[in-house]
Amino acid sequence: MKRRDFLLGALATAPTAAVMGGASSLTRWDGVAYRKRHESRVVVSRADSYESPLVERIVEGVRLCGVSVAGRSVLLKPNLVEFDPQGVVNTDPRVVAAAIEAFRRLDAREVTVAEGPGHRRDNEYLLRASGLQSVLDQHRARYVDLNSDDVSALSLPSRFTSLGRLYFPQTVLKADLVVSMPKLKTHHWAGVTLSMKNLFGVIPGSVYGWPKNILHWAGIDESIVDINAALSMPRFAIIDGIVGMEGNGPIQGTPKHAGVLIFGEDPVAVDATAARLMRIDPTRVKHLRVAGDFLGNIDRENIVQAGEPIEALAQDFQVISRFSDLKGTG
Amino acid sequence: MMFPAGLQFLQRTQNADGGWGAVPDRQSNTEATALAVLALASCPEAKADHVERGLQWLVDLQNADGSWPLHRNTTYGSWTTAPATLALASFDDQRAHAIRGARWLLGHRGRSLGWLASLAYRLVPEKMAVRLDPDLRAWSWTADGFSWVEPTAYALIALKKLGADIGRSAGPHIREAERLLYDRMCSGGGWNHGNSNAYGVAIPPYPETTALALIALQDRQTETPNRASLERLVAMLSEAESGLSLSWAILCFSVRGLDVAVWQRRLVRCYATSGFLGETRVVALALLALSERIGPLRLALR
Repeated sequence: MKRRDFLLGALATAPTAAVMGGASSLTRWDGVAYRKRHESRVVVSRADSYESPLVERIVEGVRLCGVSVAGRSVLLKPNLVEFDPQGVVNTDPRVVAAAIEAFRRLDAREVTVAEGPGHRRDNEYLLRASGLQSVLDQHRARYVDLNSDDVSALSLPSRFTSLGRLYFPQTVLKADLVVSMPKLKTHHWAGVTLSMKNLFGVIPGSVYGWPKNILHWAGIDESIVDINAALSMPRFAIIDGIVGMEGNGPIQGTPKHAGVLIFGEDPVAVDATAARLMRIDPTRVKHLRVAGDFLGNIDRENIVQAGEPIEALAQDFQVISRFSDLKGTG
Repeated sequence: MMFPAGLQFLQRTQNADGGWGAVPDRQSNTEATALAVLALASCPEAKADHVERGLQWLVDLQNADGSWPLHRNTTYGSWTTAPATLALASFDDQRAHAIRGARWLLGHRGRSLGWLASLAYRLVPEKMAVRLDPDLRAWSWTADGFSWVEPTAYALIALKKLGADIGRSAGPHIREAERLLYDRMCSGGGWNHGNSNAYGVAIPPYPETTALALIALQDRQTETPNRASLERLVAMLSEAESGLSLSWAILCFSVRGLDVAVWQRRLVRCYATSGFLGETRVVALALLALSERIGPLRLALR
């Protein structure tokens, strides 16, 4: 929790807007952090339910994005922040199961599922209650608790926070391809939580705690950008938007059926597309707007859209009143 | 001996340097080593050499300022100072190291939210995203961080365990930390990581943090919030069980003198199903929970 989060809207947003709005490429990121391409491909795939042929959809999504998988070690990072039997907090385990199978079908050298839950330290409970343990057992997949993994420190190539460096799990740093697999959700402190915010989960709790509060003090939006800028290995995103969450996410929001999976190599473009599918203007989401300057593409004209058109699947996701200004088509 | 598999696990997975990793084949870390040492010391069948090497690892890793880092990769003082202090406080010949750890804890509490947040909380408390007392300070996960339930509970147990050895100056900090725990208690009792509500919606407690907080507050067990939290803990355990939650709960019940036989049998069955995912900390807590020697967590009643 961050001091700013406790304050009224005006008090809360002004300092961040000042910092991030004034971002300068000369001071805010090193050249190595810049990885924006001219164009980014994003695939939007219809999947009405979790009974849909998910393995085929994922294989198709990966292929349409032109991602090379054969012979690579793939790390799947779902969102398993907390468990609520009444809610849809986490990436559905059926999507994780399908991703394990899909990447194996694409000849990945190994597929590892890894997460560092943000609130609870009881991995045995979280894995079993969420249904992920059954998936791991059934598919004989390796799971790594990123909260307790061995770590290495990385200097941050961007400076939206004052953190300077962060410890990252070695399992993440050694992966050939990191696949962020978030749930399509709104977020009461960041506006949205998608493939970029999902990487909060790679920050090791054993170093930073449960919750990883240092990131909140440093600024949630700022931390999202710095973490994503620090991870230079090839990345991919698969967003579980079959059933998402609207309102007071990421834990206590309301389930919202959207019937969609979203794929892409550029996390900024994928998240911008996901925001548009929630009828949220990505240019008004702070971390997306800033990341769009140097990490990836946010503008429609730089995103090559494949699969279903956004307009065919877009749903009006509700946001808490503090974020009502995010609504729009962008 | 109710848990020979746990004893064998700990003796088999000790690293060559004398510590234990969070799971086997990981580098030694302070929390896992502190709990493993406590667990093995509670077990008459354990070979003394494992305990001695574990203690030596802890002593060697202690920083000059009295703190402990998480492991050799991170040299700065961390939240693991509390479990290390607790472990060493249980051995008479290591108490000097524990007292140094306690002094570091007393000088490194979490931060408050500051005057602006404090003012806002007093003027418009209903508009705050979460409801809490912004001025209370206890212990954090990271240096100069906000205070949370688990590091506060760990620190309270360690400090109370050392009692008079750390002097009267600890008293105000201990009492403030107790107030913080009660301030963060969930509606109806129990604790989660440290947020009882967000945007007016109650956030439920977890069994493991509830049990740990109750252990830290065991010397105040007649107070109404503690009784409500204990009842909540029992209710939570009936719905969800795991090695971590059952172990902490058994330790919590044990320090209160409650019968734990049923829970202990469930804990053993739980290990047979999951192996506790090979997590050193959970195996160690289970071994402690299944031993007859819970002295390390028993505090003097006021």
